[in-house]
Amino acid sequence: MKKGVRSQESGVRIAERFRGEISVGVAIVGLLIVLAFLAPGFFTRENLSDLVLANMPVLIVALGMTLVILTGHIDISVGTMFAICCVAAGEFAKLGLPAWGAGLAACFIGATLGAINGTLVAYVRIPSIVVTLAAMVAFRDALRWITQGAWVQDLPSNFQWLGTTQAASNTITFGIAVALAIGIGWGLRNLPAGRSVYATGSNANAARLVGIDSALVTFSVFAITGALTGCAALLNSIRFNQIPSNAGLGMEMKVITAVVVGGTAITGGRGSIQGTLLGVILLGIISPALTFLGFSAYWERAIQGLIILCAVGFDAVRSRWGRAGDFVERTA
Amino acid sequence: MIKRWFPNGEWMVILALLAEIGIFSGVAQNFLTTGNFLEVIRLSVELGLLALALTPVIITGGIDLSVGSMMGLAAVAFGSLVMDWHWSIFAAAVAALLIGCAGGALNGVLIAEFKIPPLIVTLGSFSAFRGIAEGITHGAVNYSGFSKSFLFLGQGYVLGMPAQLPVLLIALGGYAVLLHRSVIGRGLYAIGFAGNGARYAGISVARRIGLVYFMSGLAASVAAIVYVAHLGQAKSDAGTGYELDAITAVVLGGASVAGGRGTILGTVLGLFSISILQNGLHLAALPSELTGILTGTVLVLTIAMDRVRARSKTSGGEEAIEMKNSQVAILCGAILLGSLITAGANVWLVKSLKTPSAASATHTPVIAVMPKAKGDPYFVSCRIGAEEAARELGVELIWDGPTGLDAAKQNEIVESWITRGVDAIAVAVENQAGISTVLRKARQKGIHVLTWDADAEPDAREYFLNQATPEGIGNALTDEAARLLGGKGDFAIITGALSAANQNQWIAFIKKRVEEKHPGLKLVTIRPSDDDRDKAFSETQTILKVHPTVKLIMAISAPAVPGAGEAMRQAGRKDVDVIGLSLPGICKPYILGGVVQTIFLWNTKNLGYLTVYAGTMLSENKIPPGATSFQAGRLGALEISGSQIILGAPLLIDKKNIDKLDF
Repeated sequence: MKKGVRSQESGVRIAERFRGEISVGVAIVGLLIVLAFLAPGFFTRENLSDLVLANMPVLIVALGMTLVILTGHIDISVGTMFAICCVAAGEFAKLGLPAWGAGLAACFIGATLGAINGTLVAYVRIPSIVVTLAAMVAFRDALRWITQGAWVQDLPSNFQWLGTTQAASNTITFGIAVALAIGIGWGLRNLPAGRSVYATGSNANAARLVGIDSALVTFSVFAITGALTGCAALLNSIRFNQIPSNAGLGMEMKVITAVVVGGTAITGGRGSIQGTLLGVILLGIISPALTFLGFSAYWERAIQGLIILCAVGFDAVRSRWGRAGDFVERTA
Repeated sequence: MIKRWFPNGEWMVILALLAEIGIFSGVAQNFLTTGNFLEVIRLSVELGLLALALTPVIITGGIDLSVGSMMGLAAVAFGSLVMDWHWSIFAAAVAALLIGCAGGALNGVLIAEFKIPPLIVTLGSFSAFRGIAEGITHGAVNYSGFSKSFLFLGQGYVLGMPAQLPVLLIALGGYAVLLHRSVIGRGLYAIGFAGNGARYAGISVARRIGLVYFMSGLAASVAAIVYVAHLGQAKSDAGTGYELDAITAVVLGGASVAGGRGTILGTVLGLFSISILQNGLHLAALPSELTGILTGTVLVLTIAMDRVRARSKTSGGEEAIEMKNSQVAILCGAILLGSLITAGANVWLVKSLKTPSAASATHTPVIAVMPKAKGDPYFVSCRIGAEEAARELGVELIWDGPTGLDAAKQNEIVESWITRGVDAIAVAVENQAGISTVLRKARQKGIHVLTWDADAEPDAREYFLNQATPEGIGNALTDEAARLLGGKGDFAIITGALSAANQNQWIAFIKKRVEEKHPGLKLVTIRPSDDDRDKAFSETQTILKVHPTVKLIMAISAPAVPGAGEAMRQAGRKDVDVIGLSLPGICKPYILGGVVQTIFLWNTKNLGYLTVYAGTMLSENKIPPGATSFQAGRLGALEISGSQIILGAPLLIDKKNIDKLDF
């Protein structure tokens, strides 16, 4: 009897712990079941590996975005930073740097841009949506002005696939993304630095009172997001042999949607990396799944929006029934 | 006193606005004229409506990203009801407003009733609304040909004022009363300051929040109707990107995104500082990329100064010293900003003075050329030819256009060129019906008008520089596909954006050609690439798996061809051919590598060269009416057929000739 109660209790606790992720999980499983019946071709090894690779950059940027949103901020300049890092990686490679060196340089540039955002948000105290809105527009136009829209071409032959084979490079890309996801996911739960991200997002003043430098935390998450964007830019660029200067247009929307669909609260303090992972998976499979199911491209965007609204709405309805009176806490 | 009138530091925006006006009246031609002032107002109406609607939303601490998409949906619904269903303008307008209300109410219910954060809700409806608009019209339908009396609302003048001005003024008055003179308005501030506090004070928070989103949907649909009347066209891409501009205007005007602060006066100031900046840059013929850079900088600087000021106030204790420090900081900031602007202005002044003085003896013709989108590699290579011709002929070339495909922006830039006074305007037309009105106005003012790349209505321009007809392109692509497939087989098309007018025209001709000449061919699917190489890459991968029978991919957007080529190379599918419409420069590795068989294009450099050459000849009246040919510099004699100057047939580019091409 006693044992039964305990296992029931832990079941509840697990459900509570993964509260945000459940509705996305349900949506993904539902979509996959439909696919299994109507378009089994979706599950070929080739298709899955193509999908995984295509979504690695979004995942890596989304890891950083999760940190930013956990602290209660937002970064809508990631698409612009992505483009700048792509072009920078290409230019450095043309200067003769090996691919990994160009990648480090791109990460460094990304981190610098992120640090600018971070400084303005954490120390000058300008709302993050304003800072990153300005950065998104200003840096994108600056890049457009400098490159005049020209692509980076004639990359050295050791740039694509990092100078190795396609398979090896894909494995490396996948490995880096997984390592980053696990590392950040583990660090968030177990390291003091990770906990301080949650603390800052839950209540920045309280966090400061218990001795957490919440300004430094905020600054760091923006800088980290910039560096991760640089990393994503490199991993995306090495799959091709030229670099378009308009890369990453609209990426911020994709990334933010993935993070919030994955159950991270936009108000900060609540969310997880595994939720983000699920969000990236859902967004990554919707579009190809609709193609496999034979939907016309013209309706795709509407269906995508509806699936997202449903996933989020379902979560909201459930949590409203589950915890009445929660509104005050969530909107405050 | 200042505190009372400008509670959120709006005086700083006024200073920025005055600085803008001061600089531009020195640098830009015909900037400080009543006519230009009225044009700025006309162009600000749609954005102004959205910004007004967003002010209370932001004051409650929320955000509405869906306003631009709602404009697209309401515009398409309005156009479809008038054109397809033959409703009266009035009935269709009411229906469009109801759709706006319904969309706003949906947002409101989800946010206020279901307590989902506004950012998430409106992020979802942002793609849902635009998606429905694209779904209804298949992205392609462009409703135009509205009655004159309706277009008057967007293009006419009442007592010398733009006809849509009253709409903005009514909305302005309504929102000002609502926010600053009503109980509801006080409640909105209270909610933004402290949601719980407001609830305990007896304000029905949910209902008030629902109301602001409802009104924002309504305002977006009003803006959509004004937009349709202004451009004379309704298409699913109406209002793309407007949400960010509107938010920028509100925030620039001193509203706090955290809620509780903001005024209608501030929003109006923010709105005009953005639209005057854009207008001034166009008039001064400065590149439009500067708009983004300057808006971003001004945005951060104004708010940073405001924050410095606010912080000094909250920290008590050493108040006197703090205050002085903050004043010094503001002063330093203001001086810095001022000196930056002056320095920048000086550089531009020197630049813009140089040209007239060098050619003061004889008037140098000014040829203004507009691409469809500035960053597009296709137009970048056209520009090289245009600059070559300008150097050769000694004319001044203004090369400016929207940074992305944007019909409304094209109109705006042409308007500013008319105000500035140029000798010839050449436009690569994004939207036929929309641009024709303003091009006719340019002709009335004695400016020579050409179209290139894509045509406007024939009476709106003197000549169209025809590089290749949509029919010619469609036929060439289809015939090449039939040749490669041996007359029989499945193929797929990867297009640009689903709503791109050019591509949709080509697709129509491709379908027609298949039906008439090549019944063995079958078009199995059309996928969008949004002019993004990486998206074209993934779409190609998916097509190969979903439609294994496809033996040929036809990519009809410049970045899509290398995307499809790379996907083919990585998949190792030697049995599938790739053809398309693209630039040799970015396709070269794939054509030489054998994954892309053929691409079609005309010589883009020559097209740019011809545009400036013909513009100059026209402005010097060297092309007599009724001429049948014309000598275009290094291009030799070109045929004039009717009012079209023909550049030549599209070029077939493959392994054999790609090494000889340099664009």
